[in-house]
Amino acid sequence: MASSAFNTGGSLPRRQFINRVMGALLCLSAAVALTPLLLVIGFILANGISGINLDLLTKLPKPVGELGGGMGNAFLGTAILIALASLFGVPIGVLAGIYLSEFGNTGFARILRFLTDVLTGVPSIIIGIVAYTLVVVPTHSFSAVAGGVALAIIMIPVVTRTTEEALRRVPNALREASLGLGVHEWKTMMYIVLPAGLGGIVTGVMLAIARISGETAPLLFTAFGSRFWQDGLGNPIAAVPLQVYKYALAPYKDWHDQAWAAAFILMMLILILNVGVRVVTRSGFQKIR
Amino acid sequence: MKWNTTLLSSLAAGALLAACGGSSAPAPASPAAASSAAASAAASSAAAKPAAPASGAASAAAKPSAGTKVNLTGAGSTADFPLFTKVFDAWGQQTGNQVNYQSVGSGAGIEQLTKKTVDFGASDAIMTDAQEKAAPAPVVHIPVTIVAAAVSYNLPGVTNLKLDGETLANIYLGTIKFWDDPKITALNADVKLAHTPIAVVHRSDGSGTTYIFTNYLAAVSSDWKSKVGAATSVNWPVGIGGAGSEGVSGQVSQTPGAIGYFEYAYAVQNKLATVLMKNKAGKFTAPSVPGSTAAAAGAAANMPADGKAIFVDAPGDDTYPIAGFSWILSYKDLDAAKGKTLIDLFTYTTTKGQDFAQPLQYAPLPKPVQDLDAKIIGGLTIGGKAQ
Repeated sequence: MASSAFNTGGSLPRRQFINRVMGALLCLSAAVALTPLLLVIGFILANGISGINLDLLTKLPKPVGELGGGMGNAFLGTAILIALASLFGVPIGVLAGIYLSEFGNTGFARILRFLTDVLTGVPSIIIGIVAYTLVVVPTHSFSAVAGGVALAIIMIPVVTRTTEEALRRVPNALREASLGLGVHEWKTMMYIVLPAGLGGIVTGVMLAIARISGETAPLLFTAFGSRFWQDGLGNPIAAVPLQVYKYALAPYKDWHDQAWAAAFILMMLILILNVGVRVVTRSGFQKIR
Repeated sequence: MKWNTTLLSSLAAGALLAACGGSSAPAPASPAAASSAAASAAASSAAAKPAAPASGAASAAAKPSAGTKVNLTGAGSTADFPLFTKVFDAWGQQTGNQVNYQSVGSGAGIEQLTKKTVDFGASDAIMTDAQEKAAPAPVVHIPVTIVAAAVSYNLPGVTNLKLDGETLANIYLGTIKFWDDPKITALNADVKLAHTPIAVVHRSDGSGTTYIFTNYLAAVSSDWKSKVGAATSVNWPVGIGGAGSEGVSGQVSQTPGAIGYFEYAYAVQNKLATVLMKNKAGKFTAPSVPGSTAAAAGAAANMPADGKAIFVDAPGDDTYPIAGFSWILSYKDLDAAKGKTLIDLFTYTTTKGQDFAQPLQYAPLPKPVQDLDAKIIGGLTIGGKAQ
């Protein structure tokens, strides 16, 4: 009965009953929402844990028909790709975030903010095509750089918006106090506002890294994959999600096992990153003095 | 130009590569002795396998200049991928070079070759005229292995299902709708087939397997030829699509009454039930390496000079009828920096590399085709000049 919500009347047991039913429903919904996550973790754990060994992290892939080998090059490749993407994406993202937060009242900034939000929603495969067209086709080579550019484009909006939010949360009184003491605006920015918002910025960067480390689609035709240790940034590069994707599609059980194990490790890394974000956020914002 | 091809020309890199290869072959003590290392590796691999005919001269022909490692990138056919990883790995251990082959699909391989983002492509389908026109320079087709399409079905309790080409075409045309159709029961007198609707499954993506499969249907059914045709992807009259071999086999295994096709190696690895197909000689054969070999033997007798032969529904008692070549695609004129290495790779793959075919469920190239390959590869030019 909808009217009972506004009606202080009705018997106490009845209201308590409805309260309990609704409470149980909410709890159930939360449990249902959580189930996929637990299922995914459990399923990957069950399938992946047996395949984890040192070879997986240190050896190169073996040709089909030979058992063993690993995907050490893919783990190294993912690390290189994340480093490259951060190198390209973090400075642009942070600077754009500063612009939006500190000078964000213009029409141009509003358009920029809107476009950033749009970019967040662009399917990653399309970003892969952009990087393919911009980097791979002109250089005539699939490369680590192309993969880094694709991932950086995914990172930028995430970093921009979290930086903006973090800096907006820095109390204006801090800026005013600094400016009031005669400190230059850029010094205020560098030494007062940025350090105060650092926790939020780091959170944004880590979230962005967690986001890109599992991306497969933008790497298909940029990083391209490789079966060897990386040989310069101008050559194709392996990546864990890419390797998992390829191995999962292949008809070989040995490769399936390796794909499960690698998926498990990748998921753990992302999980650790996310937990790390929590820790940083908690301690980071308390640092504002 | 790649940015870093000369970066890793150090001696250390060569030694590292040999160590990483982890082969039982003795690692070269120093890459300076490249030629002797190559020879010893060749000897050790020859000891393990019966030597291929006409091998020695070919692999000795082009040796990399000492100490220079070349990175090659190839892309294309998924069906070739297992064979290529093995062959390219063996070649890499001999020569110290690296071949990065990525199985992106035949269509994507052609596209990337056209864009010149890879050094060579691989395809189970002959490039169409439009595709050849789109390429910036003439492309050659080098037959490199033989692949077959297996037809699989999901009928619990039914083994050794037999079909002929006409019936298979009619199933895929949608004119045969039930498993107990007289056309099917006539071929399977000893099997009890229920009145189950046939669920047709095909590839949804462009695929070399589809190319071979539709070429076969077009060869055995005039209806199919006129209504649907043969290509890497066609306008299917009936059925549901699955992406990749795993997509099709997944659909087949989940749908009772389903029929589908995928590459033979996939069926073997996953131990899937396959249809016995009636060949031109009237015999029923399952997809197999000898079946594909027999199919290619007929084609080998009269190969066109450009290597673009299709031999579905080939004659012979043992022939499995749904088989075809897979080709390496290369520009006729090769890059000056990589040309010699590419030619060595192509030569190795079509000669000594064929030793690896059989254990991986591929049919090795017949001798006449290997000879034709040598001629095609011999016609390649490097930087505008003859080799």
